Amino acid sequence: MRGGERGQAAVELVAGLPALFLGALLALQLLAAGYALTVADGAAEAGALALAGGRSAAPAARAALPGWARDGARVSIAGGRVTVTVPPPSLLPEVGRRLAVTSTATVRPGR
Amino acid sequence: MRRDLLLVSAVGEAQGSAAAAAGLAVAAAGDEGSALMIEMGAARPRRPTLLATAAACELEERLRGSVPGLEIGARGRICHALVRDVSAVGAADDLAVGELVAGLPAGVPCVAHAPAAHFRALLAGQPVARAALLRADLEEERAVTALTVRDLVRRGMRVAVMRRPLGWLAARRALAGSPAGTDHARLRRLASRLRAGEGGQSLPLVLGAVAALLATAVALVSIAGALTGAARGQRAADLVAISAARSMRDDLPRLLAPARLPDGSPNPRHLDRAAYLARARTAGRRAAAANGVGPGRVSIGFPDREAFPPLRARAEIRPALDLEGASADVRPAVAVAEAAPPAAAGAMPVTATGGGYSGALVYRQGEGMRPDVGAAFDRMAAAARSAGLALVVNSGFRSDAEQAALFAANPDPRWVAPPGHSLHRCATELDLGPPGAYGWLAANSGRFGFVKRYSWESWHFGFDAGPPPCSAAGNAVLGAGDDGVVSGSLGLPAFVPARFRTALQRSAARWNVSGGLLAAQLLAESGFDPGAVSPAGAQGIAQFIPSTAAAYGLRDPFDPEASIDAQAHLMSDLLRQFGSAALALAAYNAGPAPISACGCVPAIPETIAYVARILALLDGAGVLIAPPFEVRLVA
Repeated sequence: MRGGERGQAAVELVAGLPALFLGALLALQLLAAGYALTVADGAAEAGALALAGGRSAAPAARAALPGWARDGARVSIAGGRVTVTVPPPSLLPEVGRRLAVTSTATVRPGR
Repeated sequence: MRRDLLLVSAVGEAQGSAAAAAGLAVAAAGDEGSALMIEMGAARPRRPTLLATAAACELEERLRGSVPGLEIGARGRICHALVRDVSAVGAADDLAVGELVAGLPAGVPCVAHAPAAHFRALLAGQPVARAALLRADLEEERAVTALTVRDLVRRGMRVAVMRRPLGWLAARRALAGSPAGTDHARLRRLASRLRAGEGGQSLPLVLGAVAALLATAVALVSIAGALTGAARGQRAADLVAISAARSMRDDLPRLLAPARLPDGSPNPRHLDRAAYLARARTAGRRAAAANGVGPGRVSIGFPDREAFPPLRARAEIRPALDLEGASADVRPAVAVAEAAPPAAAGAMPVTATGGGYSGALVYRQGEGMRPDVGAAFDRMAAAARSAGLALVVNSGFRSDAEQAALFAANPDPRWVAPPGHSLHRCATELDLGPPGAYGWLAANSGRFGFVKRYSWESWHFGFDAGPPPCSAAGNAVLGAGDDGVVSGSLGLPAFVPARFRTALQRSAARWNVSGGLLAAQLLAESGFDPGAVSPAGAQGIAQFIPSTAAAYGLRDPFDPEASIDAQAHLMSDLLRQFGSAALALAAYNAGPAPISACGCVPAIPETIAYVARILALLDGAGVLIAPPFEVRLVA
């Protein structure tokens, strides 16, 4: 009987692996969202600085985004307020869209 | 450290605890393994039996001699070890148990049996037992049993109570190391419950892995959070400094405007230095609030507040106090921004050559164009903005050399004209975007003097309301005002006194220099006073010092017409040498040497102020010969 129980832990670990894997995915997804936020922060500031310099904010904000974020990102400008929304990279596009992070930077606009 | 150690004891006068311990050991040993049973305070050792399993004999061999004076013997599946007369050995019996258990091979369970009197000493010792089995007669000892169980549970042990002793036969068999008949199954369940064998071990493993994962994630998130917090502080400082500098850039013409109108009444446009700085400070504070920084955390200063005009703003954002202890270590985020002539101005020609057009260029979004085209584009861009469109200039003036490079890259005459044939060489043509604006442009560009040149190029618009492209009249378009008022007077601002206008226009045309630029210089140098003399020895309307006057063949610096001509000649040389109005003006004021040395406007307060004043005057007068000031971060 005791011999039969040997290896039980390994079997149960295998059973627990999917849960472990899911947990890892979740943690990675949250980190990706955090990273997207820093990226959006940088882009919003770049857009606002361009706006203050009398240049167009949207191209400057987009240029400040890394390649993976450029397609999905939304940049909107209202007065001196530049808002950048970036969906984090995700295995499931729908999850990425729902986790999209937004950063706003405001500057005194050009004339 | 917890080992696979089970304690067995009796509560009060309950009998049969030794047999229960032996039965538990047999059950824990399993069918092929063995177990160690330590008996404390037993009167006589249990002798080895002939019927001992190989595993038990092996264990006996291994443990024999590991603890001095130990009496040990294999019986059936278990290996009995006797720690004799606990009271005599005193504290040393814990030691003996500890050494015995430490010497056990991994996976071999150990059951220690002690009479009630010695149970506490065993509990206090090392190693800490994982579980305990109490043999108790509940009818007599219910209260004591309950207290003991509670105490053991508090120590983190699993506890089981055996209410009935093993039967007579089962007890004999157990003490001989054999399965205890009908009680064996019960003891095996008890053993597996008390030892919480492998059955639950993968759960702690998975939970541990998940916890490690979560801890890593939390650590990463908090590091990222701290970095983001610091980055956001810096970002807010940048935006506050830029906003304050932006306010200064916007207010500069008002600071430089005369305090009084010609009729002596106060000029409503004029700002004094204090109001100018206060407005910049307010702009900075507004930007701070808009970016989520409270007024208590931001301070705004002006490093060059003593200069005229002050053009730098410094913002300092202190970290939020909710960082608790960390705030003492976190330094404030600091940014300095300035309003200054564009850094790229030195690299861009202010006059075009090498194309079909040779004359002054103005820049919109980095693309050069004829000044009147720039003014018309400004009006069209403003109208587009109010329609919700941001016009983009993709291309403007192209020299023949640039056109040749473009044609070489795409040699299809339908899409790229061969060099010498493109209207872009005339500085009147603009390639506009974005594609979403094509419809609006097609419908509205005519109102601003633009026509769509080719039906198949929705983006290409030419300026048709001024002199024709690539004409002599086109080359003579110098400055152009916001409202086009200057086209008839060759770009001379309204402040030029009538008696100097002809001389200015003639010299400007002769030396191909903007008349507006020369006029602004004269206003700054002498206020159009032909008899002016400065403390530094500069003379006349253009404030020539004698050595420079001699170099430019100016015999009488007090002759306004000759002075203006020499000034235009000198500025023409300086513009060609330095390539930008800002640098040429700096060289006019400070001499060419310091400008050549650094390729910039040197850090001489008087020179910086001189350049700033004239560029601001040109801007304020609507003579955008030089690109307007831009604001940028400098620290």
